[in-house]
Amino acid sequence: MPWFLYLALKQLFPTGRWFPFFTFMSGLGVAVGVALLVVTTSIMGGFGQGIRAMIVDTQGEIQIMSQAVIEDAPALLQQVESFPGVAAASPFARGVVMLSYNNKPAFPIVIGVDLARVDKVMPLQGYLVQGTVDDLDDDSVLLSVMLAQTLGARTGSLVDVVSPLALEKITQDEIILPRSLRVAGIFQIGHQHLDRSTVIAPIRLMQELYGLGNTVHGINVRLKPGVDEFEAAAAMNAVLPFHQRALTWFESEADFQSIIRFEKYMVFFLLTFIVAVAALSIMSSLLIAVVRKTREIGLLGALGGSSRAVAACFCAQGFILGVVGTVAGLGLAWVVITFRNEIVQILARLTVGPEVFQQFYGFVDLPSHTTGSDLTIIIIGSIVASTLAGLVPAWRAAKLKPVEALRSE
Amino acid sequence: MSNVVLSAHDVRKTYLSGDRRIEVLRGVNLEVHRGESISIRGESGSGKSTLLHLLAGLDAPDAGTVSWAGAGAGGERRADFLGMVFQSFYLIPELDALQNVLMAARIRRAPGAAERKRAHDLLARVGLAERAAHLPMQLSGGERQRVAVARALMNSPKLVLADEPTGNLDEHTGDSMIEMLLTLCRETGTALVLVTHNVAHAAKTQRQAFLHDGVLT
Repeated sequence: MPWFLYLALKQLFPTGRWFPFFTFMSGLGVAVGVALLVVTTSIMGGFGQGIRAMIVDTQGEIQIMSQAVIEDAPALLQQVESFPGVAAASPFARGVVMLSYNNKPAFPIVIGVDLARVDKVMPLQGYLVQGTVDDLDDDSVLLSVMLAQTLGARTGSLVDVVSPLALEKITQDEIILPRSLRVAGIFQIGHQHLDRSTVIAPIRLMQELYGLGNTVHGINVRLKPGVDEFEAAAAMNAVLPFHQRALTWFESEADFQSIIRFEKYMVFFLLTFIVAVAALSIMSSLLIAVVRKTREIGLLGALGGSSRAVAACFCAQGFILGVVGTVAGLGLAWVVITFRNEIVQILARLTVGPEVFQQFYGFVDLPSHTTGSDLTIIIIGSIVASTLAGLVPAWRAAKLKPVEALRSE
Repeated sequence: MSNVVLSAHDVRKTYLSGDRRIEVLRGVNLEVHRGESISIRGESGSGKSTLLHLLAGLDAPDAGTVSWAGAGAGGERRADFLGMVFQSFYLIPELDALQNVLMAARIRRAPGAAERKRAHDLLARVGLAERAAHLPMQLSGGERQRVAVARALMNSPKLVLADEPTGNLDEHTGDSMIEMLLTLCRETGTALVLVTHNVAHAAKTQRQAFLHDGVLT
C-alpha cells in the first residue's frame, strides 16, 4: 500500500481509537445525503412503478388507438393477435357520463369492455369485492369502490346514467331519458386513480350510450411475458395504417409519467445539494486538518515524501470519507425503505391520523422501487463529490514548503 | 572513493524582514566525513536551524553549494541518505511508536518483514521494545524523542541531522539522549551533525563548530 494511502487511512481511523469522531461526523453528512437521495428516488420510482402496474394491469402493455373511432374492430383484433408476442387483445370504448343515485350525482369515466375477451387482458373478476362478472349484462354496470362509497350504492342498486349523447339530442329537440342500470358489482383495483370514479360496463352498453354503433375507441393488447412492449409497439406501428397507432403503456399516460419523472428529477436535483454541502463540510474539515498538521506535512517532506504524495494523502481522505459515507448511507436507506410503512404509520398517528392521511394523501403504504441506474448515479456522484472536496486541501498541503511547515507555530 | 558525506561550500542565505535584508549565513563552509560527529552551537537567531535546513536540502541557499556524498542535496535520495531529529519530535499522533519508526521506510517502499524487524530492533536499541504499540500521547517526552531517533536511523542513512534534540527534555534525559544518539551513529558509521545550545553535549562530538555572524568557526 502506498504510504499516502496508509497514512490517509490511519488519520481517518487512528490506531487505538474505537470511535473516530472526525471520520464519523464527516461521513455522516455524506451518509445522510446518500440515504435521502436513495429513499426519495426509490419512493418516486415506486409511484412510477405503481402507475405502470395500474396501466398494464387494466389495459395491457399496448393500446391501439385511432384518430377517430375504429370501424372494423374484429378485423383489427385478428390482425393484432397475429403479431408475434401478443397474448390477447380486447376492444374498449370509454367516456364520461353523468351518473346519479339517490339524487347524488357523479361524473365517472365509463370503460366499456368486451366481456368475452376482457379477462385475457384484465383480471376483472379478481378486482371485484362485491358481485361477479357473470352478473354483468347490457343493463348493468360495475362501480369502483370509492364511487360506490360516495354515492352510497351497493350491489343491486339502480343508478341513473345520462350520456353526452343525451345532451346532444336535447339541442335537436329530442329527449333521451336517463338509463337505469343495475349495479352488478363493486371493484377495487388498488390504484386510487381508477378506484375513485370509474364504471366498467359491457362494450355494447357503452356503444349504445355514446351512439358508437359497432365502432370502438381502441384495443387493449396483452403481451406474452418477457416481450418488450416498446419493440412490439414499433413492430405494430410499422404495419398499422397511418391513422392508427400502437401506444405503449408509457405513451398512453405520457403526461402522468412526465409529471412523475419531472418530480423525481427535481427532488433528485434539490437533494443533490445535501451531498454538495456534505462534500463542502469534508473540504472544510480537511482544510482544518492541513492547518492543524502543517508540521507533520513538513516532517513528511523531510522524510522524503513528495509534495504530490502529500496531496494524494488528503485527496485519498476525501475519497475514503466518500466511500464510507456512501456505504453507510446505503445501509441507512435500506433500513428506511424496509421500514417505510411503519415510519409513515407513526407519522400519520403523530399528525393527522391514518384515516385523514389516507383521505388527503391517497396512501398510507408507500411504494418503493429502486433502480440500478439511480443507485449507480448516487454512488458515483457522492464518491466523486467527496473526492473532489479533498482536492482543495490536497492542493494547499502540496503547496506547503517543508522548511516553512517545520518552522510554523 | 571520497568519504565526505556532507559538504557545504560558501553557503549564503539572506532573509527579508520588512524592508530589512538580514544576511543570516555569510559563506558557511563545512565538510563532514563518514561516521564523524560534529556539533554546531550558536546564539539564538544565529541561523543554526537555517543552516541545518540548507544542509538537509529542505531549502536552497542564495549562493554556494550543499552536496551529499558529492551529489546535490535533497530530491529522491533524501529518504535513503538522510535522517533527521527535531526538537519537537514530530511524531505522527495517529501512529504508534513502531508505525512511526516504520514510516521512514514506508516512504521509500512498502515495508516487509526485514524492515519490521529492523524497526523492532531499533526500538529495542533505544529502550522502547515494550512501548512499540504505544501512541505518542502515551509516551513521555524522552521516549518520544527516542522514537524519533529510531525513525531517523530506520533507513540506515549516511547522515543524521539533529536540530536541538534535547531542547524539550530535562537535563538528565537530554544527556542520555545525546549519549544514545552518538553511540548509535558511531556503531552504524553514520555521520552526525548536532545543532545544540548545550556546551556539554557539543563537547561529546568529535568536532565542534560555532556559528557566529553568519560564519562557522
